[in-house]
Amino acid sequence: MSNLQYALKRLLQAVPVLLGVTSITFLLINAMPGDPVEVLLGPTASEELIAAATVKYGLDQPIHVRYVKYLIAVAQGDLGQSIHYGVPVTEKLMERLPVTLLLLASSFTFAVCVAIPLGIVSAKRRNRATDQFSRVFSLIGVSTPNFWIGLVLIIVFGYHLDVLPSNGLVMPTDPVGDVAGADSRLDVLVATAQSLVMPTIALGTLQMAAITRIERSSMLEVLGRDYITLARAFGFKETTILRRHAFRNAQLPVITIIGLQLTSALGGAVLTETVFNINGMGRLVIQAIRTQDYALIMGTTLFFGFMFVIGTLVVDLLYAVLDPRVSYEGDV
Amino acid sequence: MASETVEAEENVAGPTFESRVGLRHTLSRTLENTATKLSLAVIVVITGTALFAFVDAKLLDYYIANTYLYNPRSAPLSSQPLLPPVGLSNEFGTGTLAHPLGTDDRGRDIVIRLVYGSRIAMQVALVSTTIGMVVGTTVGAVAGYYGGRVDDVIMRLTEVLYSIPFLVLVIAFMTAFGRDLLYAMIGVSLVSIPIFARLIRSEVLSVREATYVEAAKAVGGRDRDILVRHVIPNSFAPVVVQATLQMGTNILIVAGLSFLGFGAQAPIPSWGQMLSIARNYMLPNPWFSIWPGLAILVTVMAFNIIGDGLRDTLDPRLKE
Repeated sequence: MSNLQYALKRLLQAVPVLLGVTSITFLLINAMPGDPVEVLLGPTASEELIAAATVKYGLDQPIHVRYVKYLIAVAQGDLGQSIHYGVPVTEKLMERLPVTLLLLASSFTFAVCVAIPLGIVSAKRRNRATDQFSRVFSLIGVSTPNFWIGLVLIIVFGYHLDVLPSNGLVMPTDPVGDVAGADSRLDVLVATAQSLVMPTIALGTLQMAAITRIERSSMLEVLGRDYITLARAFGFKETTILRRHAFRNAQLPVITIIGLQLTSALGGAVLTETVFNINGMGRLVIQAIRTQDYALIMGTTLFFGFMFVIGTLVVDLLYAVLDPRVSYEGDV
Repeated sequence: MASETVEAEENVAGPTFESRVGLRHTLSRTLENTATKLSLAVIVVITGTALFAFVDAKLLDYYIANTYLYNPRSAPLSSQPLLPPVGLSNEFGTGTLAHPLGTDDRGRDIVIRLVYGSRIAMQVALVSTTIGMVVGTTVGAVAGYYGGRVDDVIMRLTEVLYSIPFLVLVIAFMTAFGRDLLYAMIGVSLVSIPIFARLIRSEVLSVREATYVEAAKAVGGRDRDILVRHVIPNSFAPVVVQATLQMGTNILIVAGLSFLGFGAQAPIPSWGQMLSIARNYMLPNPWFSIWPGLAILVTVMAFNIIGDGLRDTLDPRLKE
């Protein structure tokens, strides 16, 4: 119950953050040169047409009026109309969101599943060959631009070995007829998995490397504590110590990093989606900025902000689950 | 915190002596490691090429490049595009020593483009890291030292900046104000301001409770003086580490920006922009996509290794 109350309180605290996100984005958008209506209608449009469209999208009103009107609309669940696509922003977001969520989920799964065992082994075999390898590996991982990993993967596995598709992402929900060479739902799922491999590695490598590094150092710190020495003195097996005594206590910093990686992964998704021609949120926001699609830029950044807030909240709640000493009870 | 107790003990022995030896000691300890030495060499070389490119491009209008080398912006009509590195061949011909890493889509020498591209990477990373560090440290130290409402407002603001994905933030900023390098530098610094602010704030929170701060207050020191003379210098070690790592991160961000078409505009070469051109020629000449990426990787890795080394030296908790 206390954790639920804490979650609700935190969600309320997120309101000013999201207000800040909307106002910064609103100010930036208004500072952008050029007129979205002219971008939409082209240079040949008559003045009356432009004037009419300006009134239609409410762009004739002063900035503060538009901002307040926007907030009122958002509070009612209306993110406005995308000028470029001519559909409601929410519709466009719902269309692109599953793609990016699938990509993020897949890369975080990859990152966590590789990083945590690697970090633990690295800490356990400190300064031995496995550790050296994992350290160099993760160092390269945090130093490589994700879009370049994508390019290299395409060159090797897409062109030379020709084993993986390098263009677009097949969604598991795509109609069977739309996927080339697919006769059943199973074929579609296989195509999804194949099309996910390279984008997942490209996007997830940075997260994987960052988590490996923090897992290693956090495990090392815990393994150096007195209670571990005591456990060793009692003659517990090393694996038991790792599993029962060290692992859980070492995960708090790891979870913090995973939470923080969420925004950097969203940023990375912009590049990964560009390299693999995936129509997700990342490409959507860049295109929105390029076409000066005001409502769409606002909608996507607001959504990114919202995901960040949820991410940090989940991290805080996981703290309480992992560490009984952390409690939000009585926290005012 | 362990680091404070160690420092406090050393301070008892002789504060002025310790602080003067501190920097040299830190540097020499950090450089004991071979990997760190190599990384420093890499950074010295890349800073050298960046400085050379800066002088030639900005002050001499490509005089050196035109006279003694190849121009990074345009190629002679006779030159062969998309040549592979020396010794290898593809459908366009065999690589020659004249172009050791090959040529790009317009027959321009890749080595020269990499050298001139290093200027953009280093220049943007250095300026944006510096702005981010100065602004972030000031704001974060004020927040941590004064606490209360000031702290609340500043921390909420950093949270706002933090919650917009960095590339989106920089690209929106650059679309609003301009696509040239100046705005790239300011835009990228926006990303690191919250990082530095949060980092120094947490340090200041513990330093401000230290006895010497209490003593400074007791003898009637003004808040601003205490902050500038005692609190910030004593909280600065992690900032130095972060600044080194941030150089690497910012080079990655700049490369991403140029890859998407924001940043230095053609024909001025930058690593990210080279990759975005190379992307169209991955099949005929894959090497063209390899080199700029390797340049980014090596540079960023060098900064990361030095940052790690500094952290190991400055933070005794992680000592080997």
